[in-house]
Amino acid sequence: MEQMTIDFSVREDFLEAIFILARDGRRPPFVREVASALHKPEGEVLPVLTILGENNDIIIDGDGGISMTPQGQDLGMRVVKKHETLQCFFSEILGMDGPSASNEACTLEHAVSDDTINRLGTYLKYSPSRLQKGTESVWGTACPLSALTDFNEGDDVVVQQILGQERANRLLDLGVVPGERVRIKRKLANQALVVQVKGCDVALSPEVAASICVERAP
Amino acid sequence: MRFALIGNPGVGKSTIFNQLTGLGVEVNRYPGSVVALEQGNVCYKNEKIEITDLPGIYSLDGSSDEEALVRTFIEERNAACLIAVLDATRLERNLYLLLQVAEYRMPMIAVVNKIDEAERSGLTIDTRRLSELLGIEVIAVAARQGRNIDRIVPAALVSARPPGVLTPYDHHIEAALTSLEKTLSTPRHRSLLALQGVSQDPLLRDSAESIAREIEQRHRMSVHQIIATNRHNFSRHLAAAVIAIGERKAPFDLDSLLTRTIPGIPILFAILVFVLLTVFVIGSWLEGIIVPAFTTYVIAPFIALGLPPLPAQIGLSLLVALQAGFGIAFPFVLTFYLAFSFLEDTGYMTRAAFLADRAMHRLGLHGEALIPMVIGFGCTVPAIMSIRILKTRREKTIAAFLITMIPCSARTVVIAGIVAAFIGLFWAFTIYLIIFVLIIVTALLLSRITPGEQFGMIVEMTPLRRPQPALVLTKAWIRIKEFLFIAMPVLIVTSIALGLLQYSGILDALQGIVAPLMMSLLGLPPYASTALLFGIFRKELAFETLAVLGGTADLGSIMSAVQLYTFAIISVLFIPCVSTIAVLYRNLGARIAVLASVYSVSLGIFIGALINLLMK
Repeated sequence: MEQMTIDFSVREDFLEAIFILARDGRRPPFVREVASALHKPEGEVLPVLTILGENNDIIIDGDGGISMTPQGQDLGMRVVKKHETLQCFFSEILGMDGPSASNEACTLEHAVSDDTINRLGTYLKYSPSRLQKGTESVWGTACPLSALTDFNEGDDVVVQQILGQERANRLLDLGVVPGERVRIKRKLANQALVVQVKGCDVALSPEVAASICVERAP
Repeated sequence: MRFALIGNPGVGKSTIFNQLTGLGVEVNRYPGSVVALEQGNVCYKNEKIEITDLPGIYSLDGSSDEEALVRTFIEERNAACLIAVLDATRLERNLYLLLQVAEYRMPMIAVVNKIDEAERSGLTIDTRRLSELLGIEVIAVAARQGRNIDRIVPAALVSARPPGVLTPYDHHIEAALTSLEKTLSTPRHRSLLALQGVSQDPLLRDSAESIAREIEQRHRMSVHQIIATNRHNFSRHLAAAVIAIGERKAPFDLDSLLTRTIPGIPILFAILVFVLLTVFVIGSWLEGIIVPAFTTYVIAPFIALGLPPLPAQIGLSLLVALQAGFGIAFPFVLTFYLAFSFLEDTGYMTRAAFLADRAMHRLGLHGEALIPMVIGFGCTVPAIMSIRILKTRREKTIAAFLITMIPCSARTVVIAGIVAAFIGLFWAFTIYLIIFVLIIVTALLLSRITPGEQFGMIVEMTPLRRPQPALVLTKAWIRIKEFLFIAMPVLIVTSIALGLLQYSGILDALQGIVAPLMMSLLGLPPYASTALLFGIFRKELAFETLAVLGGTADLGSIMSAVQLYTFAIISVLFIPCVSTIAVLYRNLGARIAVLASVYSVSLGIFIGALINLLMK
């Protein structure tokens, strides 16, 4: 069969939709769910899914459930992050209404670089209009996408930002700064972690680890 | 002349300090600080040089007691030369602190320690290049083997100079530093601190604050974070220029056993139980030698003097206090702290803290609180003093309550002397069991009602190593000193006060008032109330007083097993001693001291009454 190709933005749109469905539904979504999420007929969706399967982005099970490969999951997660960051910027900083912010984000998410999104994310985090009051933990609210606790033993990750910055001085002193590559050396069932940073092992409580936003290291 | 050692925790500062000064170390508190400083002397070419071992810190910008102390020490120019100790195996992270120290422009040298370990793991460090980059003399040493230790003092004397290295900061920070220097002629290091909100000078603080706010808005990042990132990046740059990585062979990683739930947690329990049992066995044996010897050679001759009643009463109270103090201090407290300091020096306690983190969260604490609680098995006083490592008021409060309940050495003596001796070993263990259940219930309750925040654990796991006897001795000595010089004087004073009360007859009157309560509520004979009262002042004396008032050392013949058990559990639960109340007051304020005391006294009476009710 002739190798079919699809547009990069189509691939990203599909993976984004599957990622959200899998995340919210907590199980591999079915073809019709993907179709309705993308507002497209099933007949149009199926060929693209086949190509994504050949691309090694997704695996279609015997019963029609779509699960993501690590490669697909990674790309899907990045697109979701771009979308959410852009939408947040448009609606909360520029004051656009919800649907237009979302539509605009849908278009731009395919063109914007990871670096720009990270910087925009940091900007939003410290933006005075968005500063949230502290909750019970001094470590603030959850990370927007992935925290250190979302990764497993042996994973290498890059620190994006640290929530609860006022209290994060000890982390900064130990070298856990944005841009630093750290390795998860040990993860207990309760999410307490040992990370290796700058050649030293640092033990972290679950709530501290959950406040360190990271991304998988390239 | 004075030199000071400065560096991260666990870089081998103390080893170098001990190698330089030998024994005869003085431990002092710096004026106005709670942190202990070790000082020793070294003679070089007929000149006496004082060496101070500053506490291990990660940064000079923080607000912890240790960081503030080191900052003041440097600011006040207390040393002719700062000797910055770096760990060769963790050079990049260690340079971060050195760069901060360098901002102060004090005469310095740098010592790269553990060069042997670095070589073994395939790292070569070009110390000459590092010396050029930092602009100070750099010596490579292997302190454990004593390699190059003899070069440190001569180098500090001859070639100490202010470092030439300057951390390049973000251009906004640099602009702020320049402007603060121009307008207020503030030196760089003070401006950097002021930008991070640390300054005594109101004018500087205000100007720095407004500049910092502007920078934070522009960068969307705290100034501290910008500065820290700049320093880390520069450290990486320096480290990359001097480290050559060769063939690396991975040694067996003991942490693969120690930090996993299985077998880590069974190992943790085995170690703790082994330590406590060893202390119990050795302690009882030593006490059996010291206490009778004291009676034979000191107390008996004193009584034989036949002094008039008042001086005799005062003298006797003093001697009994000394006997009880030493009977506890050396056999139990010292043995425990030797064992604990040994464990601490291996680096194991940080693993224990990591494993305990989950359980401690349930108690409203986190892993770091494990260490003060374990110290509490020795003596409550140093344990309460060590809770300052916890960051928030809530954690300190909960930890203080729990530590006052942990069976310290003196309480171990009561359990051993009354329950184990007259009822049986099994029943002694049930007392421990009841106490631990009560500690957990108390913690669950406190973690619900104590206001404030939870901080969480951030602990560097120091590398596992073979402990060094000299370091273990020094650490054990520092802790027993807290017992000897804080707890003992209070013990002696209250013992004499009690002696006077007894002499004047007030104690008997008091006994008369409390007796009906003791009889009906707790089922104990009237004289037991006096013994319990003594117990508030000196735990171990509760049981001795009981013997004296009962008129026989064979307590089994005058009280039933239930009465002895009730008596033991009440005196164990009662607040340990006045020294604990004093140290609670000093560290956490009057409110917590009163609350913790009232709580433990009521708990003791409640449990005693409960047992009496159930067993009647």
